[in-house]
Amino acid sequence: MLAFLGATTLMLVAGAPWVLPAGGTDLRSPENVTVSITDDNFTLKWDSSSESVRNVTFSADYQITGMDNWIKLPGCQYITSTECNFSSVKLKSVYEKIKLRIRAEKGNSTSPWFEVDPFIPFQEAQIGPPDVHLEAEDKAIKISLSPPGTKKSVMWAMDSSSFVYSLVIWKNSSRLEERTKTVYPRDKIHKLSPETTYCLKVKARLRSPRKDGFYSPVYCIKTTAKHQLPSPENVEINAENQVYVLKWNYTYENMTFQAQWLHAFLKKIPGDHSDKWKQIPNCENVRTPRCVFPQSVFPKGIYFIRVQASNGNNASLWSEEKKFNTEMQTILLPPVVNMRPINNASLRVCISAPTESENNSVNQLYPLIYEVIFRENTSNTERKVLEKRTDFTFPNLKPLTVYCVKARALIENDKWNKSSVFSDTVCEKTKPGSTSKASLIAGICAAVLFIPVVIYGVKFLWQCISYVFFPSSKPPSTLDECFSEQPLKNLLLSTSEEQTERCFIIENTNSVTIMEENDQIDEDHRKYSSQTSRDSGVYSNEDENSGCKIGEDESQLAGVFKLDS
Amino acid sequence: MRAKPDVIRKCLWPACLVGLFVTGLVSPDCNLLNTHLSRVSWQNLRLLSRMSSSFPVECLRESKAFELPQEILSYTRPLKRDIQEAFYEMSIQAFNIFTRDTFRSTWEEKLLRQVQMGLDQQLQFLEQCLHEEEEENEDVEDMEEAGRKRSGAAVPALRSLELRRYFNRIDKFLKDKEHSRCAWEIVRVEIRRCFYFFQKLTALLRRK
Repeated sequence: MLAFLGATTLMLVAGAPWVLPAGGTDLRSPENVTVSITDDNFTLKWDSSSESVRNVTFSADYQITGMDNWIKLPGCQYITSTECNFSSVKLKSVYEKIKLRIRAEKGNSTSPWFEVDPFIPFQEAQIGPPDVHLEAEDKAIKISLSPPGTKKSVMWAMDSSSFVYSLVIWKNSSRLEERTKTVYPRDKIHKLSPETTYCLKVKARLRSPRKDGFYSPVYCIKTTAKHQLPSPENVEINAENQVYVLKWNYTYENMTFQAQWLHAFLKKIPGDHSDKWKQIPNCENVRTPRCVFPQSVFPKGIYFIRVQASNGNNASLWSEEKKFNTEMQTILLPPVVNMRPINNASLRVCISAPTESENNSVNQLYPLIYEVIFRENTSNTERKVLEKRTDFTFPNLKPLTVYCVKARALIENDKWNKSSVFSDTVCEKTKPGSTSKASLIAGICAAVLFIPVVIYGVKFLWQCISYVFFPSSKPPSTLDECFSEQPLKNLLLSTSEEQTERCFIIENTNSVTIMEENDQIDEDHRKYSSQTSRDSGVYSNEDENSGCKIGEDESQLAGVFKLDS
Repeated sequence: MRAKPDVIRKCLWPACLVGLFVTGLVSPDCNLLNTHLSRVSWQNLRLLSRMSSSFPVECLRESKAFELPQEILSYTRPLKRDIQEAFYEMSIQAFNIFTRDTFRSTWEEKLLRQVQMGLDQQLQFLEQCLHEEEEENEDVEDMEEAGRKRSGAAVPALRSLELRRYFNRIDKFLKDKEHSRCAWEIVRVEIRRCFYFFQKLTALLRRK
């Protein structure tokens, strides 16, 4: 019995690996799972983590966040390799988050699911290369671009007109002369040489959100031989008194010209708009390289204009398309410059738009750069500065010198290079330098701070001096009765010399004399002295220093006249 | 405990000053364009209104709430640049909607053209402004790298996504209703509302 039990346990233990349910230690989930999306191509890539790849397949599911169920990912069921393409998934919206999970399978056993972090397909998507078609002219190449993805693209359904195309073009012979340009889906690259091979590549990008696409493959094309008739050049349009004047240059005489226009926004929309060009009235079959038409032809907006020459039989190719914005003042008026001297020998310059403007209230659509010419009045050396700001300062100039400034407005962008005439010259003198000013201020501060100190010092000194040299003759009130007749001599000086006073006896024997005081009349003091004068008591100056020696006759009172003061 | 609020108050005041100063320094250079932009977008608003003399009453029952994402403002205090980018996204989506070929004479062509041109002009202004800042701030290489990878900045991406979802709803609605006249009218009114919202937003910005 026991042996039987022992044997069964042994068998169970030994047989355990066979009996255990599948999916245990054998199969592990795939790892390094990545999703890559280009246009409408969805690809899932992973690494298998099991050693043996035989008979191992992988399956994936997806779930739209917010829903409960997992749906089988089409194109990713029982895949034997380590990548699958699930582009056929029908997503309701590419802007909603989705989750993916993947597992490995072998026979009946499966690995645990590996869940990929949720993501938004649109955010992960990369822009593929656009479709490129080229057509050569003698001095230009016509390009036709189709947006990335197909026409029915789900990813870029809302962006077909939003793509911006960047083109790089170079001569086949020398890669160094690369030119990068932003182009419309239907555009022409001008200023090329005839009978030369050019190579180019294009990429599409989005502005919002910022996304950069992949470059297309390189395409090369050779420009044709020089055309019989050149195209008109330097097409210009200016506004004048309720009309527009269209001008261009042409080398030959006796030609007829025609001009056409197109709404600018159509260029942004991919597709062929060659049938949408319309004739400009008054500019059909003109013999002069200029035509005039009323402003009502172009209601407010942005347009493209092109001109073609013909001499009956042959017609030239179309000129470069000139962009024309009705809001834009094509003639730049010179700015108004103001200059003011400020402290520290600097000059502050303020540039403002000209006050007069024609019927447009808008003068500048594109930001202006100002070219400022700055020089000392006396010298001829000019300093040229390019400034974007309308309020700036020239610091660290020479004090008390006259400087002159003038400015003109510039517009620089892809399409044109325009500048106004120079403004009037404005001259100003700088203020005195900062050092004298600063020291003046410092001096004033110092003075303000020191004056009380000085006053107190002087006051103290004066007190000392007056105490020493000019003592107060008024004795302390308590000592008045004693020392009223005598000046109170300072102890300081009294030791050095003996004071004597000339005393004269005027009367004697019980006569009441009125003592005269030099100083302040004191009621009490007088009363007191008159009282004491009756006394036969000694009214004597006990202070030896007073030195008024009274005679031995102590009973007598003497009216003493102070002789010295 | 009492010391802390004092310290905070002490630090807040200079911090505010610095903050004001910094925003003064960092404001973008295209102030001129902003004034023109608001003028043009007001004009577009009026054009959108004028396209139809009145909203057809029978289309009222088909109207749908598209849920304009007004909360795009509330994530963080948006920078001027973020507003401009959102404005650009809105403008280009509106442009995409109004430049399809599926109008079937719902509106007079002249009026439609005016709206299309107006939207294009608005876009040109915005592109100019944003292009300037691109040149100032970033290298071309950095932009390419950033463009290919997932957008690092979470908040602007979120705003852009919310706007896209909103326009996607409008788009789906148009497709489901097969670009009927009522559908177009409802969409026109919705986009006008959207413009109005953005106008208020940028007016708020200018007052900052």
